[in-house]
Amino acid sequence: MSIWNYVVTAHKPTNVTHSCVGNFTSPQELNLIIAKCTRIEIHLLTPQGLQPMLDVPIYGRIATLELFRPHGETQDFLFIATEKYKFCVLQWDVDANELVTRAMGDVSDRIGRPTDNGQIGIIDPDCRLIGLHLYDGLFKVIPFDNKGLLKEAFNIRLEELQVLDIKFLYGCAKPTIVVLYQDNKDARHVKTYEIALKDKDFVEGPWSQNNVDNGANLLIPVPPPLCGVLIIGEETIVYCSANAFKAIPIRPSITKAYGRVDADGSRYLLGDHAGLLQLLVITHEKEKVTGLKIELLGETSIASTISYLDNAYVFIGSSYGDSQLIKLNLQPDAKGSYVEVLERYVNLGPIVDFCVVDLERQGQGQVVTCSGAYKDGSLRVVRNGIGINEQASVELQGIKGMWSLRSSTDDPFDTFLVVSFINETRILAMNLEDELEETEIEGFCSQVQTLFCHDAVHNQLVQVTSSSVKLVSSTTRDLRNEWNAPSGYSINVATANATQVLLATGGGHLVYLEIGDGILMEVKHAQLEYEISCLDINPIGENPHYSQLAAVGMWTDISIRIFSLPDLNLITKENLGGEIIPRSVLLCSFEGITYLLCALGDGHLLNFLLNMESGELTNRKKVSLGTQPITLRTFSSKNTTHVFAASDRPTVIYSSNKKLLYSNVNLKEVSHMCQFNTAAFPDSLAIAKEGELTIGTIDDIQKLHIRSIPLGEQARRICHQEQSRTFALCSLKFSQTSSEGSEVNFVRLLDDQTFEIISTYALDTFECGCSILSCTFSDDSNVYYCVGTAYVLPEENEPSKGRVLVFIVEDGKLQLIAEKETKGAVYSLNAFNGKLLAAINQKIQLYKWMLRDDGSRELQSECGHHGHILALYVQTHGDFIVVGDLMKSISLLIYKHEEGAIEERARDYNANWMTGVEILDDDTYLGAENNYNLFTVRKNSEGATDEERARLEVVGEYHLGEFVNRFRHGSLVMRLPDSEVGQIPTVIFGTVNGVIGVIASLPHDQYVFLEKLQTSIRKVIKGVGGLSHEHWRSFYNEKKTVDARNFLDGDLIESFLDLSRGRMDEISKAMGVSTEELSKRVEELTRLH
Amino acid sequence: MDSLFGDWPSFDPHNFSHFRPSDPSNPSVSAICPVSLPPYRVKNSTFHCQKMTPTTYCPTHSRTLPPSDQIITTEAKNILIRNFYGRGEEKLRPKRAAAQLLDADHGSKQPRPCDPVIELID
Repeated sequence: MSIWNYVVTAHKPTNVTHSCVGNFTSPQELNLIIAKCTRIEIHLLTPQGLQPMLDVPIYGRIATLELFRPHGETQDFLFIATEKYKFCVLQWDVDANELVTRAMGDVSDRIGRPTDNGQIGIIDPDCRLIGLHLYDGLFKVIPFDNKGLLKEAFNIRLEELQVLDIKFLYGCAKPTIVVLYQDNKDARHVKTYEIALKDKDFVEGPWSQNNVDNGANLLIPVPPPLCGVLIIGEETIVYCSANAFKAIPIRPSITKAYGRVDADGSRYLLGDHAGLLQLLVITHEKEKVTGLKIELLGETSIASTISYLDNAYVFIGSSYGDSQLIKLNLQPDAKGSYVEVLERYVNLGPIVDFCVVDLERQGQGQVVTCSGAYKDGSLRVVRNGIGINEQASVELQGIKGMWSLRSSTDDPFDTFLVVSFINETRILAMNLEDELEETEIEGFCSQVQTLFCHDAVHNQLVQVTSSSVKLVSSTTRDLRNEWNAPSGYSINVATANATQVLLATGGGHLVYLEIGDGILMEVKHAQLEYEISCLDINPIGENPHYSQLAAVGMWTDISIRIFSLPDLNLITKENLGGEIIPRSVLLCSFEGITYLLCALGDGHLLNFLLNMESGELTNRKKVSLGTQPITLRTFSSKNTTHVFAASDRPTVIYSSNKKLLYSNVNLKEVSHMCQFNTAAFPDSLAIAKEGELTIGTIDDIQKLHIRSIPLGEQARRICHQEQSRTFALCSLKFSQTSSEGSEVNFVRLLDDQTFEIISTYALDTFECGCSILSCTFSDDSNVYYCVGTAYVLPEENEPSKGRVLVFIVEDGKLQLIAEKETKGAVYSLNAFNGKLLAAINQKIQLYKWMLRDDGSRELQSECGHHGHILALYVQTHGDFIVVGDLMKSISLLIYKHEEGAIEERARDYNANWMTGVEILDDDTYLGAENNYNLFTVRKNSEGATDEERARLEVVGEYHLGEFVNRFRHGSLVMRLPDSEVGQIPTVIFGTVNGVIGVIASLPHDQYVFLEKLQTSIRKVIKGVGGLSHEHWRSFYNEKKTVDARNFLDGDLIESFLDLSRGRMDEISKAMGVSTEELSKRVEELTRLH
Repeated sequence: MDSLFGDWPSFDPHNFSHFRPSDPSNPSVSAICPVSLPPYRVKNSTFHCQKMTPTTYCPTHSRTLPPSDQIITTEAKNILIRNFYGRGEEKLRPKRAAAQLLDADHGSKQPRPCDPVIELID
């Protein structure tokens, strides 16, 4: 890889952090607005449900999101503040359908300690000011003037330093805040302040309340007529106002989110840490609060935000599991729950770990993530491909072939679906009710297997069986003519188009027929030296009903031959080599280029350029699509031709920019496929797979498909073992049996196909799994799972004890073979020179795998290296060890074989708190740190002095805006030898927000070109809210902000393709490169993910 | 207890009136077409893709920047200096002003809110 990197999102953030409901896109429309860290989504409430309108990228991490209605406005405005202290006010322009920035600004202070408990941004209910708590001891005010415009902001000193929550009180003559804070004795209190805008200061507020619940962490302001505030604690909920105080004890819980139900503030939905949803009711007589009531409604995902939508529908936004649309029912269900989950919106976050595996052995990675937290923990299998949206399916075993037929030659739709079995043929048709039912075509033979069917000219249909070719009228369905195979011969393979039939009988006889009106004419016969395995006469020339070429695949000499039609003269013979016979051939044309595709019995596919004039085959290429024989069929979607390769790994072959592309389909094992375009199922495909017939439409683009495997516990580490075809996990389960709530940790073994848990090893009390690895050792042919653990004792700041456990998988069971106690947490494990390299607290430790006298094995420490704060992330390459430290950035160690020692070679002297490292190439290392930045460092072997050589030079810096938990080498797309993109090495990363991203190392010239393109696009695509892209991508931490370098924002660059033609031309002009060329180059990049 | 759950607010009774829940365990199955060949069933695909994919917004208009007077910054004066100036001004003010202030309603004694009535309910 290289230092010139291209960063692009393959899967956008899905962690929902904020949500709100209001009339944003028009005074009449009700919208749900969702924040997913760096994006907001605008949805519309409709009779059909939530309708997504827009996905808006924000150049910042959203810290607060609020809707408000300034005086005199008919629509709500959206206030967004980012973690980098920028804010903006957005308005939806109904006429232009655009987001307009009403105000923006910078609310950072040069000095000030950022708050520990997160940034708070609130808007006075009477729209007099916006309040921000960003730094300890300061409350920032942005006042509105009487026209609703914002004025210069100012700070007010806030005495309370440990603020937990601040809200505006309703119904106050002067803007009044209520502050929940903790004092230095850890007691919690609530206090109110009036804001004197003129004096720019606080005035003591109307009331205060000392010593509230010790776990109080949330304030809910109650609107008029009741007013006051709810203080949500862990054991009590209190209603408090100037003249009332009501409390209610609750079941111990940590409330994570609330949503107001009624406009008068009498009911609230509360979501807790265990995903329980409760209804809190303020009972009142007129305006006098008489008490509180709380009722359990049911269970949802663990909520981070709750928005009541309309008519008992509620949106549950989650950071730990899938977000949900739920309905509150009037009556409980059988389990006593009032909650009905109606939709789930996939959330991969937090991705704590993942692995890249090629389960289908196609050269394409699937990402298997450890997603979610607590009870919402799951594994997610993420795979790129084309989706089939199943519309209906029927159980049908043993399908041997399928063809669709029309009832007349000029009918735009198909009517019949001919399904062939080993000794019968069944015909399905759409009836008047648009249902698929069985029918008959009288002229067809239905007691035998059909070899081929096709529509023919003059309203006819052709059926080929082993004994004859039948020509049938498609209107009367009666037999019009028949060609019989010579006696003693049966037809083995056959193909046809509207006017021609080509078939082969045993003994290498090739027979060519032409179709007339009610007549089948045998035009030519040829005797070949071997048996024929497959043939095709798909018309790809000028005449769409007649082919001048025939492709024939042969047994014995393993060749493909091209014959001319009608004379059956051999034009070309191409020996395929090897021993695998061709099983399916296809003549096809993409974007004006003619190809011959040939599928072999072992799942390989060959493609050739076919010269239509000379029949010459050139430019042979081979790809592996599966392991089973492939059947090739064309289909058209949106007026372009695609090829479907049915096999154990079904694949769609298509062309873009005159290159053949392959995309897998999200189905397992398809034996046959044919287009079935009916009025009821337009543009559909009929697919035979695993004992059933399915009808479905096919996506026109490939995208990520996600499969969820709920665990009910949190997976922290994952690893795949090819040899045992298993995954191993470190997971933890929180049990709520006791009031305290305890956690149990496991090592679990899962089947890599079914994802069933097949074996479990329970770790000790307080012991938790920190790392997992599948590896082999020198002088031992077995493959092991190694697990590193830590004993996390309540009284210790850092674990002082851990274990390395070595397991073998035997009969699908985890067998513990060896264990080694360590003096700390085993944060990382790597296979290293046939040994095991462990990162244990401050130390890097190398273990040998030793054979004892009794034949058993043990881990024996060989050497180590001290000098880290905590060595958290380790990657190795040859003898080099790259360590990502808790706070000391990246260092490079080397293992010296002769001395049996590990020494430090170089380090980065910056104080970066690492969250992940990866080795890009021999000299370049990639790191992610906890301020959401990426950076690369380079080894300087040629440095003149020792000092220079001992320093890892920072060569690339970039603000990703995402907390990366893991890097892995691999690719989400099929890497094909003939594509340029296939040559670009990539690293995949997974983040807390559920982002899966790709970092691609580019050649220098391409990097320079794209950097120029990025600069040009920046001038055309504006940041929403006036936020600057350049500023957003600048490397940023407490100490410095520097421009991004040697990293490019692929998301911005690829949005070029979404621009209007005019804007593209604008960029093209600035670049001096044609729009077509730019589109082509950007499209190439989109194929990286 | 019934009164707690009933009467959920409705802003527009049409919202969600035609909502057809998809299988919550599988967001992909959308249209269901009948097949009359028994036994029939509608199947879930193993892999599913996200249904909710709104178009990505890519603004190119000039109103992403606010009017020039709506680019907000924090006043440069810090709290301490503001305080000094504030006090200075106060000192410079003629004494009469203070008397006037007293006349204004600021001077009048405001009833302090009485201590909240504490009442614990179980």
